[in-house]
Amino acid sequence: MKILNPDNLRVSTEPGATPCLLGNRCQQCGTIVFPKMPVCPSCHRNGAMEEVEIGRTGRLYSHTIAHFAPKGFIAPSFQAFIDLPEGPRVFSLIGSKYPVERGVLEDGMEMRLIVEPLADTPEHRDELTYKYVPASKATRAKA
Amino acid sequence: MRDVAIIGVGAHPTGRFMDKPLKALAYPAIWGALDDAGVKVTDVNVAYVGNSLGGLLTGQEGVRGQVVLQHSGITGIPIVNVENACASAMTALRGAWLEVASGAADVALAVGVEKMNVGNNARTISALSGVSELDLSELGMQFTTSYAIHPKINLKSRMQEYGWTAADFAKPAVKNSYNGSLNPLAQHRKPLTIEEVVQSRVIVDPLTLLMCSSISDGAAAAVVCSADIATRFSSKMPIKIASCVLQSGVYRLPHDDRPDSATTSAYAAYEKAGIGPEDLDAIELHDAMAPSELMLYERLGLCSPGEGPKLIDEHVTTLDGRLPVNPSGGLCSRGHPVGATGLLQICELVWQMRGEAGKRQIEKRPKVTMAQNQGGLLLGQDSAVYGCTILKS
Repeated sequence: MKILNPDNLRVSTEPGATPCLLGNRCQQCGTIVFPKMPVCPSCHRNGAMEEVEIGRTGRLYSHTIAHFAPKGFIAPSFQAFIDLPEGPRVFSLIGSKYPVERGVLEDGMEMRLIVEPLADTPEHRDELTYKYVPASKATRAKA
Repeated sequence: MRDVAIIGVGAHPTGRFMDKPLKALAYPAIWGALDDAGVKVTDVNVAYVGNSLGGLLTGQEGVRGQVVLQHSGITGIPIVNVENACASAMTALRGAWLEVASGAADVALAVGVEKMNVGNNARTISALSGVSELDLSELGMQFTTSYAIHPKINLKSRMQEYGWTAADFAKPAVKNSYNGSLNPLAQHRKPLTIEEVVQSRVIVDPLTLLMCSSISDGAAAAVVCSADIATRFSSKMPIKIASCVLQSGVYRLPHDDRPDSATTSAYAAYEKAGIGPEDLDAIELHDAMAPSELMLYERLGLCSPGEGPKLIDEHVTTLDGRLPVNPSGGLCSRGHPVGATGLLQICELVWQMRGEAGKRQIEKRPKVTMAQNQGGLLLGQDSAVYGCTILKS
């Protein structure tokens, strides 16, 4: 197992630590971006970006079910955008324990970040990445 | 800058041509344009060749333009390879236009060619995912998803916001399928009904199969020259390029309130051409997913937010309307060979303006027209490329 993009994702082995995304915050204007970039897209200052931990939680901005998939991915699958409380809106897949059906997710719901293999396929089984799942335990997962 | 005219266009039919490599697809388009313009190979000073997926899908990673043009007998001149996703061909046209407008060349050739059918659709879809920034595509984000829920377009949210229904989403596909049924170059020539479109297989909810442009092979070309020498080559009516605008996407944070980039590129094109949207007589626009045509009506200034379906219901944008949109059949019916599409749009407009569009000829021959083309997807929540060309006769 390896992390697909270690620059984007922090998986700590400390007890009690939760995984998070790694973004950049502009020290001049405060804009936070994900993934990282060296120049602030808002104020265009170069070299003022510092690393910040973000995205432990988020809110489901929008989601859909894709019924076909590129090579190495599985269909049907959820595709989603998550609004992070720190500012960025990120594309994410949804944790594989949730059945890919209408009604499982609801736009606006609270989400939390998990880490799991990108896809259960020979191409991506060993690549760990971030995904989001409903924060509430009430949302049903597969038995 | 000098005035520039299109004096010849040509296209290969759009569809599935398993036995044809890129150069064989491009050849009839190139020679169609040369013969239409009445120019000889030796008259062409410079060429721009648009293609997006040929490296990944055919293995010809480099010098595709030189390979394609040598096969058609065009060698020795400067040849510029252009990759700009689904707007590659419009970008090629812009290169040709700039060469002539600047005075660097008198006659320039723009070509767009794409081969997407390689016997393995999963490979083609993966290649197409590559026109999104890798940080998105490596996570399994699909291009169709960008139309369904991406913040920039978010057709799903328009259903809630405007009360658009699945039937509304189907309307552009139905309208354009009728236009395409009259176009001998079109990939799909069967007129569709609302029911057929709505009930076809779901691809990415809420988009169904018949709302999506399909995997296409095709090519198109245009010859442009300085307007003052246009009649030297051909007795056909020269079509003036009134403006040819290219923009790239901008990085947008979630609550960005700047105007949409399709809007800013269209209005830049209007301004440079000295017209407004009310002056247009016909449009070819980028309906990669049929319902995005409804969004583009708003963004090009043709209607107020949410009013898109009305323009079809009230026969404004139908072939018999005041402002026909996608008379060729658009991307969903004529086909979307991605790196050729921008010039396929230009071909259609030139034929319509000359009165050469056959059964789909707009009755009142259009005098001012626009081609709107876009492509790719960036992390900053915008398409990568926006192209807009306005033509005048």
